[in-house]
Amino acid sequence: MKHLLALFALPALALFSGCDKKSDTASVGDKPGKKLTIALLPKSKGNQFFLTCEKGAREAAHEIGAELLFDGPTNNDPAKQNEIVENWITLGVDAIAAASQNKDGISTPLKKAREKGITVVTYDSDANPDARAFFVNQATPQSIGHILMDTAAQLCGEEGEFAIITGTLTAGNLNAWRGFIEGRLAEKYPKMKLLDTKPCDDDKDKAQQEAANLLSAYPNIKCIMAITSPAVPGAAEAVKQAGKAGAVKVLGLGLPSENRAYVKEGVTQAVILWNLDDLGYLTLKATAAVATGALKPGATEFDAGRLGKLKVEGDNILLGQPIVFTKENIDQFDF
Amino acid sequence: MNAPPTSRPAWKTLLVRHETILGLVLVLEVLLFNALGRRFLTGDNVANIVRQSVEIGLLALVMTPIILTAGIDLSVGSLMGLCAVVFGMLWKDAGLSPWIAALGAIGVGALGGGVNAALITRLGLPPLIVTLGTFSLFRGMAEAFTGGLKAYTGFPDSFLALSNSFYLGVPMQAWVFFVAIIAMWLLVHRTTFGRSWRAIGFAPEGARYAGIPVARRLALAYSLAGAVAGLASVIFISRVTEARANAGTGYELAAITAVVLGGTSIFGGIGSIHGTLLGVAAVAVMANGLSRIIAITAISRELSGILTGALLLLALAAGALAKALSERRARRQTPGLPNPPPATS
Repeated sequence: MKHLLALFALPALALFSGCDKKSDTASVGDKPGKKLTIALLPKSKGNQFFLTCEKGAREAAHEIGAELLFDGPTNNDPAKQNEIVENWITLGVDAIAAASQNKDGISTPLKKAREKGITVVTYDSDANPDARAFFVNQATPQSIGHILMDTAAQLCGEEGEFAIITGTLTAGNLNAWRGFIEGRLAEKYPKMKLLDTKPCDDDKDKAQQEAANLLSAYPNIKCIMAITSPAVPGAAEAVKQAGKAGAVKVLGLGLPSENRAYVKEGVTQAVILWNLDDLGYLTLKATAAVATGALKPGATEFDAGRLGKLKVEGDNILLGQPIVFTKENIDQFDF
Repeated sequence: MNAPPTSRPAWKTLLVRHETILGLVLVLEVLLFNALGRRFLTGDNVANIVRQSVEIGLLALVMTPIILTAGIDLSVGSLMGLCAVVFGMLWKDAGLSPWIAALGAIGVGALGGGVNAALITRLGLPPLIVTLGTFSLFRGMAEAFTGGLKAYTGFPDSFLALSNSFYLGVPMQAWVFFVAIIAMWLLVHRTTFGRSWRAIGFAPEGARYAGIPVARRLALAYSLAGAVAGLASVIFISRVTEARANAGTGYELAAITAVVLGGTSIFGGIGSIHGTLLGVAAVAVMANGLSRIIAITAISRELSGILTGALLLLALAAGALAKALSERRARRQTPGLPNPPPATS
């Protein structure tokens, strides 16, 4: 009987605590008591990457009692992101957090939003600096380059030959990472040698083909580093089919979920990515803080709830170090 | 008003009925979204809806005569991409004024439409196949010119004003759209061109025997579509402030949807510009309105796809049903008729 009572009491309690939370919601400066409405724009909607960001953002929105809108393009029509932002402006949202697809294109409506007094923060991929207050930077090119090179060196025992599979030879962010990978290599690992860097056009099958070519062209290759997400499972499949699982190490930047099977089989040793859940959480927290005036330009630190105090460099809020997913910890993450 | 003489009363009532029903659907949408959506019926939002549908609206306007002739043009969206890239090259690489570059883009559009027209009329190839080919060709060329990545940006404010400013409280590009609407309405409903497009749609051989220059009339429809795709790309670039190979992706299907939803028969012969406009509005209002219902905003884009599809199928089914009913009624009223001809569509 007591248990039954408890069963009823629990939801009632939850209801009450829910009410409590509602009363101390964050509010906009000039409109006290009004619930903040924050809109979160992904690059594309049906994408595990951004859906995981959204999950973290929902958690943060719930914590601070803000209303969260989530909408993004479902196809690659370049006008869609702009249209969504334009509609949010007339919807009267308080703040917008955007991951930009076309840097210059999206900056126009974001600037329009700022002119109307809407707080704008970017995350994942930045817009033009004058189109937003802050950029939530998931990882600097330097931290990505260094962690990739350090992990590869660790896997190879700091000596031996390796190759890189990249997306395209023209992609700005990938080239920035490559610069830091090569810099780190020259500076810290004299016994390692970069054989080749091959583009895969962000295509898994092409990555597999390139990896297979690398394996046959360089019999002494010890490691393949894939720095674009489709290339990681592609390289793993090539190594597996060549019967070199474990002998040739595979690591790369990618979603744990896409690589789980290969990691568990021991084909892929390390997958590197920032925590997407945390990225969404931080983005929403920071956006709300800018909207309420708690986070101002010039700040050097930001208290991001469960993530603790994070560094702010200029107008970049830094999420912190990427995570290395291995056989041991990969099951703790669901993205 | 320009319905073929053979079955005038039945077609006429059907036409009227279809557009009235679509108009009612539109009113219903507005009432519904006004009740459920947040800040739906505000000047700003109405301006948004208009600004965001001008490019697809322009394509739908010129798609109407093509479908009237029982043709189709799948290449207009890709042509927008090609025109956008040409515009960017003329402006940035050749250093021309944006307005001259705009004329160049429209010219390239007309040329692209001319290629479609030549292949369709000279070689007698089906429009579906020809424009499926140029659908890939035009987009491929746009991507080849820019490596698929290069974006032209940094246009002068005077050019960006085309799609980002207002005149007399109406978005600037809407004025261009109004002019295009009037011109196309007159062309389709008040000239012999309009009548010949319908005639070709009903029976191309019959039209030829009636002395209509079928090839020239078809060529006009496809070239016009190309030129207007160029114009749409210019307005698009000004709105998105970026010229890139992916401009207009998927717009051909959006335009065809609007035209067919607006009551133009895909088999040709029947249809109107005002119907097409209602079709454009019904789809645009639906997409915008759904995104303003906060509870479903996260799935509004998917829902709008589902509902647009459902609306289109419903409209087609209702049309077919009404036609069958009116035919049966006509048969009952004239019992002396020996063997009624089977429905052609």
